[in-house]
Amino acid sequence: MSDDVDLGEFVAGFIAESDELIATANAALLDLEAANLAGAPRPRAVRDLFRALHTIKGLAGMIGVEPIVELAHALEGLVRTADRAGSALARDAVDVSLRGVSAIAERVRAVAAQRAVPPVPAELLDAIAVAAGEVGRPAARAPAPGPTAVDAPGWDAGLTPGDRQQLAAGWGAGHRAWRVSFAPSEASAARGITIASVRARLGELGEVIKVLPRATPGQASSVAFDLLVASAAPAEALARAAATTVDQLVELIAPPAPPAPELDASEPAEAAPRDDGGAMLGRALVRVELARLDELQDQLSLLIVSRFRLEREIAALAERAVDVRALREIANLQGRQLRDLRRAILRARMVRVAEVLEPLALLVRSLGRSAQKEVRLVLDARDAELDKAVADRLLPALVHLVRNAVDHAIEPAEERVARGKPRAGTVTVTCADVGGNRLELIVRDDGRGIDRRAIAARSRRAVDADADLLDVLTSPGFSTRDVATRTSGRGLGMDIVRRIATGDLGGELAISTTPGAGTAFTLRVPLTIALVEVFSFVCGRQTFVVPVSSVEEIFELRAGQDVQPPAAAGASSPVRLAERRGQAIPLRSLGCVLALDGGADARKAIVVRRQGAPVGFTVDRMLGRHEVVVRPVDDPLVKLRGIAGSTDLGDGRPTLVLDLGALVAERPV
Amino acid sequence: MNRLLIVDDSKLMRDMIAACLRPLGAVAFEFAGTGLEAIERLALAAFDLMVLDLNMPDVGGVEVVEFVRAQDRLRELPILIVTTRGDDDSRAQVLGAGASGFLAKPFAPAEILGEVRRLLTPARAIGRAPA
Repeated sequence: MSDDVDLGEFVAGFIAESDELIATANAALLDLEAANLAGAPRPRAVRDLFRALHTIKGLAGMIGVEPIVELAHALEGLVRTADRAGSALARDAVDVSLRGVSAIAERVRAVAAQRAVPPVPAELLDAIAVAAGEVGRPAARAPAPGPTAVDAPGWDAGLTPGDRQQLAAGWGAGHRAWRVSFAPSEASAARGITIASVRARLGELGEVIKVLPRATPGQASSVAFDLLVASAAPAEALARAAATTVDQLVELIAPPAPPAPELDASEPAEAAPRDDGGAMLGRALVRVELARLDELQDQLSLLIVSRFRLEREIAALAERAVDVRALREIANLQGRQLRDLRRAILRARMVRVAEVLEPLALLVRSLGRSAQKEVRLVLDARDAELDKAVADRLLPALVHLVRNAVDHAIEPAEERVARGKPRAGTVTVTCADVGGNRLELIVRDDGRGIDRRAIAARSRRAVDADADLLDVLTSPGFSTRDVATRTSGRGLGMDIVRRIATGDLGGELAISTTPGAGTAFTLRVPLTIALVEVFSFVCGRQTFVVPVSSVEEIFELRAGQDVQPPAAAGASSPVRLAERRGQAIPLRSLGCVLALDGGADARKAIVVRRQGAPVGFTVDRMLGRHEVVVRPVDDPLVKLRGIAGSTDLGDGRPTLVLDLGALVAERPV
Repeated sequence: MNRLLIVDDSKLMRDMIAACLRPLGAVAFEFAGTGLEAIERLALAAFDLMVLDLNMPDVGGVEVVEFVRAQDRLRELPILIVTTRGDDDSRAQVLGAGASGFLAKPFAPAEILGEVRRLLTPARAIGRAPA
């Protein structure tokens, strides 16, 4: 075997993992922002942020994306300096970090779109360096008034100041601190009980503050782990989570004497929820990482694929005149159960809109500051919920609308006062479930309104009707760089808002505007969208995707694998054969079938089945696996057999979804 | 067949390291995402080499090395540190704690392959005082 290893195959993995790390970094930064307001330190958020940046830096280095390495390195330095100086990340440092992380995200998108990765603006690096200089001075500001640190008596190893603060915070909330010991063994590992699972289960019951390994020579297991846990859960629950017994638990700190209950003193303490943990248990809520739900959905797609196989086998049996009625009945029942399961998983993916809108508050604050305007954001989402997949796609559209409102629609304070309006402008985002599985979001501002005359002059068409106005505003060429449009109150990027609302999500977008009083954009989007798992690949310098469920297998083309050399069939025929497990599979060049340039250096074959028979299509290379929204193709010019729809892999460009089975039918082999 | 334990909190990095080591041929890989999991795996199974990241939650790479070296049965286990913290201080600290080799990320596939080959060869004992 050659020593040549190409890390290029990991680019798709890099994009996926970077997205997760960017989300972690943003969440940690928003948490730190909130902590600044509350005056409470968040050592965990600082650590999460640091580790996310550090990992992005390492991965980007391996893949060779220098601008991302540079950004992550600078930000990592800022966070480390802040951590060492013992100060929380101040407001300015959080701002510049958010900018830095969004610059990283932008460059990850460039990698995903196979575009050149833009270099890092020197101005941004300078801003990060300045922020690092500020937080590096410990005397720059008084330390945030955090809870008093407490020591954990009976805890052998030294706790860091951060650990102590965390412990103190838990103590203040009525938690008790425990030392829980766990000794791993082959037997428990075989049952899935490992330090990772124990740590995770204890983490659900409280806060795991520290875990230390301890050598236990001469015992059945050569190591044991001591976990310092702050929790309000009963000892039995903790012992169960650690697969041990209560007598193995050591209580380190008793909780402070509870304040005298205001209601009935004779009531048992357990009856009243004592803290968040208790309240959460009362509502039977569990916090689940999105990755776990994704995993669930992945498993479901695997189930669906094996169900297809089952159906195929049943059909094959039926062809051989076997009585398959009972089998078919079970298969149909299973199909319904799978659909129910899918619906249940979708329900589990619903998130509160109020939480989705949270980042907008931060956005308005920083936009208002940079535009030197006074802007207030009012959010009203009541109890509305929507699919996390919709939320993730919707947020960029809302960000655009809010950004435009602050940048262009809201007038400067003096102008507002002169017009008899309140000094501070207001941007309101309301959200309501309007029935029919639809959610209505309205982004409203009390700014200057849109000047229809200016828009009409610029676009040379009448925009008296709201629909026409919206059409002009959301046409891709309509730019903010024009002075007339800038003062008319809308900026660049409206085409993206429409693409997300109507294209990606299959929803509606509407506008209403009153000169001098403001503008409102109304988005109606479905609560859930159907996501399809696809493989992406390159053929003839173009990117395509195929649904995972349609793919039988993917294999690497090697010289000498052909049963019959391609030349024998003549240059006009793209068909050749490859042997897979003793079976000859006809191979067709996808590049030839779609009449694309290139495609000569095909390295992979994608096998699909057509009427039970396998057929392979050769493609240049595989890119990765994604979960996408498939849109139908409306353009009659593109409406061809073999094209199931189009999708967006995150680069804003349409990517065709192929139905390879149908392509086989087009030219029978 | 050699058994290798690859420890890194990034799954992608673990996969990339394993891909770099594919040319070794018949090797069994096991993976751990945290220092704690690494210590657990080492306690439950025998390994010929560990590739270890430094920056991990709970228990970092340096602490793993210190812990491992304090145990008799793991005193000779080759440990290759692979880290983005490529500075001299980190290198001195972790080699001082008892790591066998040190590689800064990013590295070329051939570099880690060479290091692992060197550490897996018994000839590495040459030049060392006999135990």
